[in-house]
Amino acid sequence: MRVFSFQYTRKSSIIHKIDPRAKLVYLILFTILVVYYSNPIILFLIFLSSIPMVVLGKVIDRWKISIRSALFFIIFIFIFNFIGIFWSTGSLEYSIILSIAMSIRFIALISIFSAFFLTTSPEDLMQSMVQLKIPYEYALTFNMSMRFVPTLTRELQIIMDAQKSRGLELERGNILQKVRKYIPILVPLIINSFRRAEMIADAMESRAFGASKERTSFYTLTMGRKDYIFIIVSFISFFAILSLKLFFGIG
Amino acid sequence: MIEFKGVYFSYVPGEYVIKNINLFINRGEILAILGGNGAGKTTLVKHINGLLKPQLGYVKVLGMNTKEVSVAKLAKQVGLVFQNPDHQLFAETVEKEVMFALINFGFPPEEIKSRTEKILRGLDLIEYKDRSPFTLSGGEKKRLALAAVLCYDPSIIILDEPTTGQDYNQKRNLAKLLKRFNEEGKTIIIVTHDIEFVADFIPRCIIMSNGEIVADGPSDDILTRGELLMANKLLMPQLVEICYELSINPPSIKFDVVLSKVRAIMKGEI
Amino acid sequence: MAIVEIRNLTYRYPGSTKPSLYNINLSVDEGEFFLITGPSGCGKTTLCKCLNGLIPNSYGGDFDGEVIVDGLSTKNHPVYIIAQRVGLVFQDPENELFCTSVEKEIAFGLENLGLPREEIRKRIEETIAMMGISHLRDRAPYELSGGEQQKVAIAALLAMKPKILVLDEPTANLDPFSSKSVLDLLSRLKGEFGMTIILVEHRLEIVAKMADRCAILNNGSIALIGKPEEVLYSDEAEAIGIGIPKVVRLTKALGIKNRPLSSKSLANFIMVRK
Ligand SMILES: Nc1ncnc2c1ncn2[C@@H]1O[C@H](COP(=O)(O)OP(=O)(O)OP(=O)(O)O)[C@@H](O)[C@H]1O
Ligand SMILES: Nc1ncnc2c1ncn2[C@@H]1O[C@H](COP(=O)(O)OP(=O)(O)OP(=O)(O)O)[C@@H](O)[C@H]1O
Ligand SMILES: [Mg+2]
Ligand SMILES: [Mg+2]
Repeated sequence: MRVFSFQYTRKSSIIHKIDPRAKLVYLILFTILVVYYSNPIILFLIFLSSIPMVVLGKVIDRWKISIRSALFFIIFIFIFNFIGIFWSTGSLEYSIILSIAMSIRFIALISIFSAFFLTTSPEDLMQSMVQLKIPYEYALTFNMSMRFVPTLTRELQIIMDAQKSRGLELERGNILQKVRKYIPILVPLIINSFRRAEMIADAMESRAFGASKERTSFYTLTMGRKDYIFIIVSFISFFAILSLKLFFGIG
Repeated sequence: MIEFKGVYFSYVPGEYVIKNINLFINRGEILAILGGNGAGKTTLVKHINGLLKPQLGYVKVLGMNTKEVSVAKLAKQVGLVFQNPDHQLFAETVEKEVMFALINFGFPPEEIKSRTEKILRGLDLIEYKDRSPFTLSGGEKKRLALAAVLCYDPSIIILDEPTTGQDYNQKRNLAKLLKRFNEEGKTIIIVTHDIEFVADFIPRCIIMSNGEIVADGPSDDILTRGELLMANKLLMPQLVEICYELSINPPSIKFDVVLSKVRAIMKGEI
Repeated sequence: MAIVEIRNLTYRYPGSTKPSLYNINLSVDEGEFFLITGPSGCGKTTLCKCLNGLIPNSYGGDFDGEVIVDGLSTKNHPVYIIAQRVGLVFQDPENELFCTSVEKEIAFGLENLGLPREEIRKRIEETIAMMGISHLRDRAPYELSGGEQQKVAIAALLAMKPKILVLDEPTANLDPFSSKSVLDLLSRLKGEFGMTIILVEHRLEIVAKMADRCAILNNGSIALIGKPEEVLYSDEAEAIGIGIPKVVRLTKALGIKNRPLSSKSLANFIMVRK
């Protein structure tokens, strides 16, 4: 049931210790590159550039899960792009290359985002959002939605088990019947999510949430040497890849 | 009837959550599974209707190896009621909630009607039949979840923590109901933390700890072994505690037995 | 000195046809251990939410009468003001902990109060020492066992230095051993720190002997109130259908005049008579 496993796990690695803001710089720069280029080889290069982060961050296992589920979607992305492009251009070669580029772009994007989220604690991310002057409420909402992903997946599993025990067979039937079969799973899931949200809100209010306009930030993030180095390296790689097009006309 | 032989299971490779489980349950037995949080109780019972398959060893239910048959086929024989009714109630009305499983198992329409009505009556839910399940109280929801499984007459009934959030009267009613089903020949397995409930109503119990079965036998033996219970995150039933305080040997979980022993002490006979 | 004072409280949830609490009058003294029990659906959770102002402030509905905690009327003060005086622990620890480490969990409430950083540091240290949870400090709350989670939830509230702790079936999902250790902790908080404790609990075998007073709620009203032995030994308690501890049943059957609440004291009475 695990799709795009972006869920952060606590580990100690160099990458985990980098300030989220520094990693955010990396995320933004490389996302720009991914969107900017449509040359399959360069996109592949960008994809490769995310791997050192995954390795140094010791999150290879979870990253693999993300990539594996991305590969599954690739089939659709490739087919739909191919049909679309071939339909409008009529060129077989062009359609194939572009569809491949689209697929690699998707993989690269997933890889970059995985590298970021797998090594960044939601709470640190929230803190850096607050320090970047994003209102605390928004930052907290974001943090909470990350925090409760595993809870929700577990709940989904239990609900599916419960309904299967009552004879629900998800595999059988045509598409329409299959969709209908998800109702007994979705209804409890949604209702429980609302109930959970209410309980969390109660718990937060009970801990004086909203008491002071000047909420103290007990944990503040400070950028250090390694963070600046990380940002500089990100910028150098960014310009290096960008120069391929600007100066050498590749891509 | 139900047989576990050398069963191991892990959610994360290498970390077995249940280990070397050997267990035999006869037709028509009624038993409880006790143990601390995380001992592996829920994991164990999910093997009985095939939701989980053993990674080593085998589980046989009514002669079927759970690895070889589908959950749907097993589920018809093995009714599993989950701990939290909110994880399964979804229908617009109480009546439709009960009909869900009956439709899934392909019962003919007339029978669906009659069975639904019968079970709703049996569990005192008939007056709510047109209400939405979500408007019921905690205790009623729990009974509805039970009805939604009992309706198709499985020969094995498994209840995961049926007594949490129930008050004493509801617990006693539940015990009566289970007794009735048991007398009809059904096998009943109850996973619970509620030692007093087991001491009062369930004749056989199993204690799990760290994924293993550490004790299996009649409740009036197992629940009187103080050290065994304490070592496995359980407490003694209060009657047993009283026996220990008064050095009554052997201790007992039966009210009348303890009562007469204490009377004897008071009269100076012991 | 009454620290909690409930006067003629009647409350109906928005959209409900009948009130969930009906004409409740109750006062709890400072430093008292007050036990609430009663059948499922009788209004225990609703009452807990009234005690820290979640009802009516966050729930709306028809709220009649008054709840006064530590001199403040809940309907005239926002929850965050009341919450500094009344800590509320819920049934399901999974949903009351939301940070990624125990330390951060404890800091959350203090940050909300806008306390200076030094003060926060000091209170975290104090709370962790007092609760004996230094080994859990850097663990993620959702990785902990249920019993540990409830202790963390209690710690996070205690750091805010409330005078009153209200707990709504804190042991419902815990095994007997963890339940006992959470309940023993409450007894210690009362004994050593003079906390006022209001506890909703079904496990009367463990908890009856700890309480100073006890109330049975039934159908939204207080059916019985008094010392635990008065309440549990009364015939009404039996009729309402709460789980009367075996000690009580046995004592009644033996016709002993004393009213013990624990196995030990029953044994003592018997040995003395002998
Ligand atoms: N879906 C899952 N994925 C990974 N680990 C799991 C999963 N379900 C349970 N576990 C782990 O397996 C162990 C046994 O869990 P299980 O739910 O069987 O215990 P239990 O005895 O039913 O406990 P409780 O009394 O708290 O219900 C626990 O350590 C739990 O964290
Ligand atoms: N949010 C709500 N909206 C409407 N009615 C509610 C709400 N919460 C509870 N009720 C109703 O109020 C009554 C009292 O509920 P409450 O949850 O306080 O009972 P309880 O004593 O805590 O029960 P339990 O032992 O099952 O936890 C019940 O009839 C319930 O259906
Ligand atoms: Mg379980
Ligand atoms: Mg409640």
